[in-house]
Amino acid sequence: MGLFDSFGISASGMTANRYWADLIANNVANVNSTGTPGDPVNKPYQRQVPVFQEVLRQKLSAPSVAQAHGGGARVSRLANDNNEPRLVYDPGHPHADPETGYVAYPNINILNEMVNLISATRAYEANVTTLEAAKSMYLSALDMGR
Amino acid sequence: MRILNDAINTVLVKQMDACAMRQQVIANNIANVNTPGFKKSTVNFQQQLRAALGNSSMEIKATNKRHIAGGSPNKLEGLSPRVDRVDGTSMKAGQNNVDLDEEMVNLTANTLMYQFAARVKSDRANSLSYVIKGGR
Repeated sequence: MGLFDSFGISASGMTANRYWADLIANNVANVNSTGTPGDPVNKPYQRQVPVFQEVLRQKLSAPSVAQAHGGGARVSRLANDNNEPRLVYDPGHPHADPETGYVAYPNINILNEMVNLISATRAYEANVTTLEAAKSMYLSALDMGR
Repeated sequence: MRILNDAINTVLVKQMDACAMRQQVIANNIANVNTPGFKKSTVNFQQQLRAALGNSSMEIKATNKRHIAGGSPNKLEGLSPRVDRVDGTSMKAGQNNVDLDEEMVNLTANTLMYQFAARVKSDRANSLSYVIKGGR
């Protein structure tokens, strides 16, 4: 058990949640990245969501269960939201379907993204608090015998 | 009399080890608050400590062979905290059972416990140093 493993675990949680916030920012930025309905080349932007996974760190030589525990979190892969695009009638748009006049907008709900952003921010803050707690623990150990 | 390696000292060191481990486990729980299917873990130390100490709360000296000595320090040396996975509950969609509020409370309590053990150990060392210096 390394003394500073706990810092790494908190940092991995911070990284994962910051990445989530980045993805949300990208989703919101692309809310108007349109495409042509039914056209495989001109597809609208697809909303991306992270899939979190626990990092397992198990020493093969661990003599007891106590030494085999998790090593934080990471984003294992990005999933595309495959919901149908939102169709808006706008025949003058360069991406409009020449027959129907519809434009495909990405199916991004700003409210959803904002709520997810709050989740990501709070989870990030929780990891920062954990890091602070570990720091104050080790500082108190450093002050022993003074 | 053992000055530096008595039962109280051993218990304090083990307590600090357990708190450092619990800190890691809580950090892992909090890092995985958004991981689908993750199950939280807890560190169980108090029960092991109680078992190791037996019925007597601390070491009892046996100055006569008819005395009964209590709290074997050998048992204390082998004391190690146990990490338990909690599988039963589920906090939100995706079967994740990390309760952020609970983890934060445990984190605070754990930090204070560690600092308490460090303080007691430090104070014991200071009083020893005071005695060595002859009260000066």
